[in-house]
Order: sequence, then structure tokens, then C-alpha cells
Amino acid sequence: MSYPLELKDVVKRFGGLTATNHMSFNVENGESLGLIGPNGAGKTTIFSLIMGEHRQTAGEILCNGEDISALPTYARIGRGVCRTYQIPRPFAEMDVLENIRLGLMPNSIWQMLTRNPDRYKEIELALSVGFSENDLNRHPAELSMGDLRKLELARTLATDPSIMLLDEVFAGLTAGEIAQIADLINKKREAGMTLIIVSHDLRSLEPLIDRAIAMNHGSIVAEGSFAKVMADPDVRASYLGGE
Amino acid sequence: MGIRWQHIALWIAFIVVMLALPEFVSKGTLRTIIFANFLAIFAISWDVLSGRTGYISFGHPFLIGIGAYTSAILSYRFGFPVAASIPLAVVATMIGGTLFFLPALRIRGSYFALVTLAFMELMYQLVQVIRPDLTGGTRGMSGIETITRGAVNNYYLSFSLMVIIALAMWLVMKTRLGTALSAIGMNEESVRGSGLDTTKLKLAAFMIAAFIAGLGGAFYVHYLGSIAPRALFDINFLFTIIVAALIGGASTIIGPMIGAFFLTFLLEYLRPVLPGAERYFIYGGIALILYMYQPKGIYEVAKQGWGRLRAVRAGAGP
Ligand SMILES: Nc1ncnc2c1ncn2[C@@H]1O[C@H](COP(=O)(O)OP(=O)(O)O)[C@@H](O)[C@H]1O
Ligand SMILES: [Mg+2]
Repeated sequence: MSYPLELKDVVKRFGGLTATNHMSFNVENGESLGLIGPNGAGKTTIFSLIMGEHRQTAGEILCNGEDISALPTYARIGRGVCRTYQIPRPFAEMDVLENIRLGLMPNSIWQMLTRNPDRYKEIELALSVGFSENDLNRHPAELSMGDLRKLELARTLATDPSIMLLDEVFAGLTAGEIAQIADLINKKREAGMTLIIVSHDLRSLEPLIDRAIAMNHGSIVAEGSFAKVMADPDVRASYLGGE
Repeated sequence: MGIRWQHIALWIAFIVVMLALPEFVSKGTLRTIIFANFLAIFAISWDVLSGRTGYISFGHPFLIGIGAYTSAILSYRFGFPVAASIPLAVVATMIGGTLFFLPALRIRGSYFALVTLAFMELMYQLVQVIRPDLTGGTRGMSGIETITRGAVNNYYLSFSLMVIIALAMWLVMKTRLGTALSAIGMNEESVRGSGLDTTKLKLAAFMIAAFIAGLGGAFYVHYLGSIAPRALFDINFLFTIIVAALIGGASTIIGPMIGAFFLTFLLEYLRPVLPGAERYFIYGGIALILYMYQPKGIYEVAKQGWGRLRAVRAGAGP
């Protein structure tokens, strides 16, 4: 049986620092997995490894049974995996629709040259993440943190993923914005999207996940239901004694 | 996509004015404009690669040089007709340039600039040492076949070439390819994160830039009728190309054209006052001041001025 995503004994060292220390876990189809742990635990590194932005020192990363460890990022995205960033990375001199346009582009120079952008699809995606029509021609400098996260979600969704990795989606947001993004994530969940969500905001995270993995120093500390993981003494210790 | 009738009207007006120009200006001025046309071609080529993607090429004379030398050698040494030597020169520029640039496209930032600068210097040295019987060594070649004679004919030829390249690039850059290339300049990681192969995109930008540089270089050598390594693989030539693109307005098509004309005439008017290389200090200074005032270049200044004018008119109107 193969999983949408599976890590087998993955190690990542940055020089002398082991950011990922023999991690093995998987997600099931349509499952929403929460990845928690103190700052520097190695959560973001896992995402970078899955996307191929960093290469693991050892171990395998499988996508639907296929070892994707050697594939470049665009090929992984082509297989339906996509991520958002802790610090949003918009295209500064492009408006909301143009930013989304990048996500919708086919990875083919010929098609880029010969087919027009699908404006309809761009608008639909922008509205689906909660932008209003007045926002469509705004530039990133004019957007709030919440809007920047929405923009990143829209550009990521534009690549038509089946697995989304969301990094600190609630960081820097107002309560209203958190509710909006949580609502959006729930909709994707209901539509069958497989999710891995990293968040420091545990209260907002809890209702969005089926299962949690707590990690520290690049290793799994506890795994199971959110309540079970939070009750784990090691997890409590890592948060309290955390940096 | 995004083409408005105003744009078409502006292009037509520009072409009409330029076609009528020989009726109104002196031969000397036409010769200056011929150089501006070639400089515009080179600046557009530079901009397609560097203005868009942010990979600053210091090696453009290297590309132009491959085109110019290939066509010159084929026609001068082997008697190829220009109609064959120019296309072959373009192909040689694309292939030769790719062999050198492809490894460089994987390195970022100032290293890319340095590596490409090294190509230019390398080419300068090689041309003089390797097969001087073909390249003419340090002295180069003269008496190379010209395509046409006289200032007016050469004006029309260089202008047609420039305007065809500019129009073609304008259309290409309006497509999603243009958007993707500009996006690389803003944030290459996010382009990768959008599922696009940025190496392929940069290679495409490079091939287009090499195509234009090779074409411009080949036509240029058949306009001059001579070629010498020091004139071509020259840091002043390199900076004239880059500054033309930057002060005109990088990441546009009209910007490098404006910049090329501005610089050419600036250098021409400075010539009687400052005959030597000091002229380049003056334009460096002017470029710097312009850049500090508006990093997006003259085109942006003009656009804002036009916008303000319209706002004033609208305010004063009935
Ligand atoms: N590119 C890198 N180079 C060196 N060290 C890194 C790099 N990225 C992350 N690290 C280190 O790896 C550890 C885990 O970082 P990260 O995955 O960002 O943690 P988290 O997202 O859980 O806060 C940290 O100690 C961090 O300093
Ligand atoms: Mg992190």
C-alpha cells in the first residue's frame, strides 16, 4: 500500500547540525496531519526536503510509492505536492492576479508563448481564497499579512495540488484572518486534499487536523491524536524548556 | 494579451516619423542614429536576459563578437554571401554562447556577472592568438563586404532591423513567457515554487538574447566593413549597452530604445567638448543621477510626467 507522501528514515545535516534526524512518517489520502514543535525543531526543513529545495543527506521520500528524492522541485509540483512559506514570497512588482498567473502557468515555453492566461481562472482562485474584487489589482506592498498568506495559498492552489504543505499559516494574522484561513483549509479538507500543517497556534490548529506529530531536535517526540500528543510529558517538556 | 490600440498607434507613429526622418536631418545625424539603432538592438538583447531575470550579463560583447566575427570570417575569408553568413553567425552565437553560459546560469548574483565578464576578456585574448590568419589578429579585418551603401540606405536597414526586433520582443514579452522571466528577477525561488523549471526559462531567455545579439553583431560588422578586437571586446562598449538599458528603463522594450538614443546623442554632443574617454565619466554621472531619481529609468519618468500632465489638464478642464 502506498501513501500520498512517505518519509523513510530521512536525515538532513547542515554542516555539523542535524536538522532532521532519522524521521519516518507518512500521511494517508485525504488526511490532515499537524506538525508541531518548538522553534528550530526542524519542521520547515521537512517541507524543504519534501519539495526538493534541500536534498536529504540520507533516506527516501516517496510520493504515491515513487521515490521522488532525485526529482527537481517543478517535477514534484507536477506530481501534486506544493507548499506555502512561513514568510510569504510574493512577486513584488506584480498584482494579485499576476502572482496567481505564475502558479497557473504550464511548465512549457511553447504553451507560455502561444496560449493566453486564463483570466477567469485567476479571478476565481483569488476570490476563492477570500480576496475581494477591489484587491485583484493590488500589489503585495499594499497587502496585509493575512492577504499575503491568502495570495500564497492562491498561487499554490493554482498548481492544482493534491497534497499541500502549509508552513505557519496563522503567524502574524488577526483573529478574523485566522478564521478566514481556517475556513479555507477546512473547505480543502472536505474536498479531499491531503494536508500537512505546521503551526505554533495550537488552538487554531487543533480543529483542522486528524493527527499530530510532535518533533524536537529533528526527531519525532510523540505521534497520535492531538489530545494524546499534547498530554505527552516529553512534548510538554520540549515546549516549556524550548528556546 | 494586454495589447491596447494606443500601443499600436504609438508604434505606427514612431515608425512613420523614423521613416520620414532622412528628409529632415543631415547625413551626419543619420550616421549617429545608425549607431543608436544598433545600440538599441544590443540593449534589447541585454534586457531580455538581464533586465528581466536579474542575471546581469557582463558578457554581451562576447555574444555580439561571436556573431560579428563568424559572419566576417565566413564572408571575408571564405567568400560566403552575406545572406548565408549572417544566419550562420546567428546560429553560431546561440550555440557558442550556450556552451559558455549554460554552466553560468546555475550560479547567482555577482558571480554570474564576473564569469560572463571573464568570457569577454577570454574572447579578446583568443581572437588575437588563435588562427590570426582567420581573425586578423590584433588588427582585425577591413574591407568586409557591406550590405548597402550610403547613410540613408544604412539608416533604413538598421532601423528596419531594430524595429522588427523591438516589435517581435514586445509581442514575446507580452506573453506569459515575459511574465515568467520578470518573475525570476523578482523571486526565483517562488517561480520554482510555482512549478516552473527556472533553468529552462533562463535558457530560453538566453537563447533569445543570443539570437538578437548574434543578428545585431553580424549586421553591425557588415555595416562597418571592418572589425577589430579592441573595439568590440571593450569595457566601454559593454557599459554603454548596460547603461542604455538601465537608464532607458529595464524590463521594457521601449526603455532600452530610449536609453540607446539618449546615450548615443549624449556621447555625440560631448565629443567636441571631451574627445577622450572622459566622456564616459560624464555619462556615468548622468546615469547615476537619473538612476537615483528614478531607478526605473527615463521611460518611467516620461510616463509619470505624461500622467501628471493629463491630471492637470483634467483638473483645469471644464
Ligand atoms: N539552510 C540552512 N542552513 C543551515 N542550518 C539550517 C538551514 N535551515 C535550517 N537550519 C537549521 O536547522 C534547524 C531546524 O530549522 P527549521 O527547520 O527552520 O525549524 P522550524 O521550522 O521547526 O522552526 C535549525 O537549527 C536551523 O537553524
Ligand atoms: Mg519553520
